[in-house]
Amino acid sequence: LFRQTYLQMYFRTQISQDPDVASAAAAIRSLLEFLKRDQSETLLGLRENLTEAIRRLGEADSSVAVSSGGELFLRFITLTSLEHLDFSQSKNLLVERGELFLNKISLSRNKVAKLCHTFIKDGAKILTHSSSRVVLKVLENAAADKKRFSVYVTESQPDSAGKLMAEKLRRLNIPVTVILDAAVGYIMEKVNLVIVGAEGVVESGGIINKIGTYQLAVCSKAHNKPFYVVAESFKFVRLFPLNQQDVPAQFKYKADILKTAEDLDKEHPMIDYTPPSLITLLFTDLGVLTPSAVSDELIKIYL
Amino acid sequence: MPVTDKEVALSERIEAFLAELKRGGSGAGTLRGSGETARETTALLRRITGQAQWSSAGDLMEIIRKEGRRMMATQPSETTVGNMVRRVLKIIREEYARLRGSSEVTDQQESLHQLLTSGGLSEENFGQHFKDLRANVIEAINELLTELEATTDHIAMQALEHIHSNEVIMTIGRSRTVEAFLKDAALKRKFHVIVAECAPFCQGHEMATSLSEAGIETTVIADAAIFAVMSRVNKVIIGTQTVLANGGLRAVNGTHTLALAARHHSTPLIVCAPMFKLSPQFHNEEDTFHKFVSPHEVLPFTEGEILSKVNVYCPVFDYVPPELITLFISNIGGNAPSYTYRLMSELYHPEDHEL
Repeated sequence: LFRQTYLQMYFRTQISQDPDVASAAAAIRSLLEFLKRDQSETLLGLRENLTEAIRRLGEADSSVAVSSGGELFLRFITLTSLEHLDFSQSKNLLVERGELFLNKISLSRNKVAKLCHTFIKDGAKILTHSSSRVVLKVLENAAADKKRFSVYVTESQPDSAGKLMAEKLRRLNIPVTVILDAAVGYIMEKVNLVIVGAEGVVESGGIINKIGTYQLAVCSKAHNKPFYVVAESFKFVRLFPLNQQDVPAQFKYKADILKTAEDLDKEHPMIDYTPPSLITLLFTDLGVLTPSAVSDELIKIYL
Repeated sequence: MPVTDKEVALSERIEAFLAELKRGGSGAGTLRGSGETARETTALLRRITGQAQWSSAGDLMEIIRKEGRRMMATQPSETTVGNMVRRVLKIIREEYARLRGSSEVTDQQESLHQLLTSGGLSEENFGQHFKDLRANVIEAINELLTELEATTDHIAMQALEHIHSNEVIMTIGRSRTVEAFLKDAALKRKFHVIVAECAPFCQGHEMATSLSEAGIETTVIADAAIFAVMSRVNKVIIGTQTVLANGGLRAVNGTHTLALAARHHSTPLIVCAPMFKLSPQFHNEEDTFHKFVSPHEVLPFTEGEILSKVNVYCPVFDYVPPELITLFISNIGGNAPSYTYRLMSELYHPEDHEL
């Protein structure tokens, strides 16, 4: 039990020390730490402990990203340990590979930004939603490429994350305007393209992101504006929601609300699902993908 | 290093090809149509493989990449050159992997799976020397050449499945692939073709003449009449210059109009495009996507008074988004536009997308 609370503390310190790190990456690092201290003798025992640890992490931060990071790590453990029949040998290999894996995914954001910033033309007006570190990196790269563009950010209630994003953009000397969530339809005729991040990319090629993204996508489809999604590949998750209701309740609400709320129906959800028909292209570290290509990538890993 | 006679002959050949490319872009020169360009490029790459000095696969790939960049810079709108270079690079990778005994070339491809299982950043530098590599690569390129020669026939063979008796087909401009497609169907079926002339070059006229010589009932219409006539049309069959990575097209100007009219009337839009036209580019590249030619065709220089007061443009290409397309017919069969990413991953290696 001591180990479990330590795990949550470790995860929280990771996030607070480095606010730029993706939550899935922080989750994977915490799980790697857990793995180093784990005492199991068999693969099955390790998997059980890890599943419990992932559940605990979910209690600290109930977002899709942490869940997908956890699943990926579990898959990684299974695939790597299958290479050696002797479990104690694979333990060292696991830790080594885990570090390598973490190194690789720390580079993903840069890869995504490199792919996407060429789609931003000079004089472009970009609309984005809430605060996304990947979108920030993309815009940073485009600005460094001496492109002139301006950004509209939605305020994104209930946590006003859009205002944070605007602050960060102002520091990069990019002209930015914060708009009301309700003003998306009003502003859509002025913008040239829409770029959003994603907390999770689902099997159908759709995305799970901050509430308000679906609205934004429907509006941009109505105005024929390209709707681009930027996400690293570790956010790919094995869900296939057919509508908003299908998204599991554990992702929709913050962890503390899940524990204390009496009637979840009365709570405001924090995320929504955007179907693939509204998305033009997804920029990932695996390349520029059309929504139909996403399920191919997922099949390759979970085959 | 002393320059041998073979190398001199090789570089002369390359220079001659580059000059052809440059001229071929403006309609003159001997390179007619992208099929020929593709064949010439592949033949040249085979010659480079055979005659250049290289000891490992890595060297050969570097040489081909360098020559490929030069060829692409000469005529950026002719994407088949780049596509063939990428095909050859993939061939080299495959042959190298086969000689090394690796089970799957997909080991090298980026995927979530690879992120998880590989130990160490994969640095495949293709440094090993194999005696048989040269012969194997040349043989594979020969296979590619045979495939290229047969593409139009393979596409035309599928015509009977798509064209039925008494149908009205619409097309635009002149495409050799569509011409062969329609002529093949005409051997067994009787149907009517409407050709949009495609101003200002009016290649539709040549297409109509050629089709009527084959005994097909043809009508030529002006581009402005496309929407008006569309309600009578059963299918629209067009060719294209390039198929983009998202399933969209870079086709002759006027095609987007045709596609929108077809979408409005819910008429299926079929694109006949051989595999060598599939390019890993997107339509965001401002500098290389569009090509403009002399505005003389739009507003002749004799109209001097107006010329000083207006800007006249004559773009050659149009972008058609993938949502407007129903089916792609290529030499390997029919595919939906959303499947393009898969065909691309089979033809090209992701690292070669940017030469």
